[in-house]
Amino acid sequence: MNIVTFTKRVPVTQEEELRITGDGAAVDLSKLPFKVNDWDNYAVEEAVRIVEKVGGSVTAVAMGDAESDEVLRRAIAMGAKDGFLVRIARAIQDPFARAALISNFIKNENVPFDVIFTGVQSEDDQFGSVGGILAALLKLPYSSMVIGIDKVESDHMVIRRELEGGLQERVRISLPCILSIQSGINEPRYVSIMGIRKASKVERKVFQGNAYEAGVGAMIDTVKWVYPPRKKGAMMLSGELDEVCKNLVGILKEKGVYQ
Amino acid sequence: MLEQTVSRVLTCIQCGKCTGSCPESGKTPFNIRMLVRKQQFQSAIDEAIPWYCTSCGACTLRCPRDVKPSEVIIDIRSLLVEDGQIPLAVQKALENTFTQKNPWGRSRAKRAAWTENLDFEIRHVSETAEKRLLFVCCIQAYDPRCMVIPANVARILNQGGVEFGILGEEEACCGNEIRRIGEAGLVEELQEENKGNLQEYGVKEIIALSPHCMNALKKEYGDMGIKVSHYTEVVWDLINSGALAISKPFEKKVIYHDPCFLGKQNGIFDAPRNILGAIPGVTPLEFSRARETSLCCEGGGGRMFFEVETIYQRNAEVRVLEAIAKGADLIATACPFCVMTLEDPATEKGQVVRELSEILMEVL
Amino acid sequence: MSYALVVAEVRRGVFEERNLDSFGLSSLLGKEIVLVVPDGPYSFNERLADTIVKVKAGEEVFLNPLNLVDIIEQVMNGRGKPDCIVFTHSSSGMESAPYVAGTFGLPVVTDVSAINKDEGVFYKSYYSDKIFGEFKCTGQGPWVLTVRSGSFKDAAAEKADAAKVEYIEGVAASDKRVFLEYVEEEKTEIDITKAEFLLSVGRGVGNKDEIPTYEELAGMLKATLSGSRPVIDKMWLPKPRQVGTSGKTVKPKVYLAMGISGAFQHIAGMKDSDCIIAINKDAGAPIFQYAHFGVIADMHKVRDKLKDMLKS
Repeated sequence: MNIVTFTKRVPVTQEEELRITGDGAAVDLSKLPFKVNDWDNYAVEEAVRIVEKVGGSVTAVAMGDAESDEVLRRAIAMGAKDGFLVRIARAIQDPFARAALISNFIKNENVPFDVIFTGVQSEDDQFGSVGGILAALLKLPYSSMVIGIDKVESDHMVIRRELEGGLQERVRISLPCILSIQSGINEPRYVSIMGIRKASKVERKVFQGNAYEAGVGAMIDTVKWVYPPRKKGAMMLSGELDEVCKNLVGILKEKGVYQ
Repeated sequence: MLEQTVSRVLTCIQCGKCTGSCPESGKTPFNIRMLVRKQQFQSAIDEAIPWYCTSCGACTLRCPRDVKPSEVIIDIRSLLVEDGQIPLAVQKALENTFTQKNPWGRSRAKRAAWTENLDFEIRHVSETAEKRLLFVCCIQAYDPRCMVIPANVARILNQGGVEFGILGEEEACCGNEIRRIGEAGLVEELQEENKGNLQEYGVKEIIALSPHCMNALKKEYGDMGIKVSHYTEVVWDLINSGALAISKPFEKKVIYHDPCFLGKQNGIFDAPRNILGAIPGVTPLEFSRARETSLCCEGGGGRMFFEVETIYQRNAEVRVLEAIAKGADLIATACPFCVMTLEDPATEKGQVVRELSEILMEVL
Repeated sequence: MSYALVVAEVRRGVFEERNLDSFGLSSLLGKEIVLVVPDGPYSFNERLADTIVKVKAGEEVFLNPLNLVDIIEQVMNGRGKPDCIVFTHSSSGMESAPYVAGTFGLPVVTDVSAINKDEGVFYKSYYSDKIFGEFKCTGQGPWVLTVRSGSFKDAAAEKADAAKVEYIEGVAASDKRVFLEYVEEEKTEIDITKAEFLLSVGRGVGNKDEIPTYEELAGMLKATLSGSRPVIDKMWLPKPRQVGTSGKTVKPKVYLAMGISGAFQHIAGMKDSDCIIAINKDAGAPIFQYAHFGVIADMHKVRDKLKDMLKS
């Protein structure tokens, strides 16, 4: 089983106050640390686990700048055999353009695969679209929100998709196919710094993204970046902790859930 | 296993002094002598076991053959780390430290947030004349309970006329706990980053706020030619020399808890006691296990990020109960981890825990 | 004809409420609405659409991206291309919309939560709602959109005339991606959707060993303990306790969120609660925008204080 799995380097924004610059032209990410996209981490782990069980190899592919090599080293440390970096000069916002470029890359370079994994979405743009578009472009069956892989056969897989309300859907999907992996499908292993350093000795192939731009045009345009609309917001309880907690209990009593 | 450790482990005579002094052996499945034995025979070790160790260092101090059992634990953990099979909470702490340079994953940009409420400005160490660095420590930079400690010490040093600066968001985790978790690669990265800054800014002296940071900076960063001390040593000097005058009495019975990394591992027993002794009105009390034999609070060795099952009585609770039995009004200590671990059962039992700087703020 | 093609989401015989948002967005855009839906006895307000195309296929055949492209092709046959194809931003919409866009070569914007009709701009979340991007479609339409649940439902408007009903008689069902069965998660005694008072903990809880202390607090408050995705992912709480789009949607009288920053997926699962109280140490946490009451504090400190208070 040859699995190609996509991995992306994303900024860590959970605790940060993001700043828009140039009157909406850009979001300042210069001071942020970066890490591997959470969903991709689950996807790489799942790919490695499958290969550990049934044999084959995992190829990690990242599209991005030179720094994205970091997530490839990480994937190799987790168990991927190869790492491919498709270098692009600047981030492509349109998921269609991204998928089209990847599709060209896979076709032109004859990247062999039985399955392609992507994360369901990336933490930064949350588009969740590259996997589905890519599947359509490569004319492959597709499934997203994959929360379990129950069976791996040479010509098909049985997977579980996560639906809403705690419901799941079991699906039989023919190979080759593309699956977008949901977080929580497994517990990704820890990757030590030593492991990453060892992985650095495995050569990562670099491809120039502009070689795959034929027919790739953005169909959507980012007009500008804006801050979210301010909702009315909460009534903030402030003061000493003691007072705050008294107020809290007061509210609970008022709402009739605590006597 | 490293060659050195192998030869050290082979010299073990299984005397059991390590187990006798270990804060975990006996009450939990952890048995340090047994682990060394297993290492001698290279037999399999249950993955859950090594995580009980709090890195208090008692075993290594007591070992008559210099086997350094606490280092053996680090070796065992290293293998688990390389394997990727470690408790999730520990994994999270390591990943956070890699990205944000602190185990809690708080924003690095907010590392100096504790300075915001001070009524004087703290300069970057590069802008100071004496290049004296206050090394803040992750937990004291972010945890709301502990953030008061650097603010207090800054005020005290300021009052004592000591010039100092900080690294602000450039400060990275010292790596003390990370080394004990067994993530040597990450420790190297953290050390390189901190050393680079210390060098670039020409730092001549470091005042560490946490005994854990002090330990790492003093003993594990190689010879940097920089004097490293704990803030209690500096403050005691200030009081002793008269540069810092205590103006108010503190009519309390205070029992002092020795942090492992300050006391038994670095021999600083007297400075904190001297400070307390200099405060009029203080009645100093001592735990039955004090100084070299102080009972570990179980906050070290990665245990701040990973807690074992709650079925075992916590040492912090043992400490609090003894403090109450001895009639102490409050437990004083000089380590943020000790504050955090002790305060948990203390609050439950109506006992007060204070970091030394908090007491000082009331009497200066 | 200028129309919006709304792809309905029907799960286990229920016409999902979030379809209303698809109607709402289409109405805001001023489009005639053609709804495509699997044929079945679902009850919904048929007046919201101008035309209803009923597909003689089960929901499990319908909600399959490989089959939907055939269905959409059939809808467009004779009718011409729509201006937009609208999906719910849900497990099915997130799966099908990009695949449809890829197949027909159409621009796609997902998770649309607001629009500026005059400028033809769609707003979409970035960085967990910390920033929004304004997008314009530059390529040939129709635009493929997925719509954030709760964003447009109030704009759904009834039409003057009853909807015209058409049928699609058959679908070329793919054998490459086949629905096998629904899988229910294991039933436990606790059903968080029935609770009147939920105490919900999030990433801020920090550590598995803190969970029992919150169970204790919940016990003292007579609340039911639930959690957000990170807590469930780490297996600190069982899956049936998860609040959010991939867990349960809850509407308790009081939702007390401790250490939950408020990822959209979580907000979607609890925003309709009567009273939301949020406790978080990050003043910028998005949850404060949805909460009725907020406390900026360390959740553990509040826990301890509340426990002390409730004991005495």
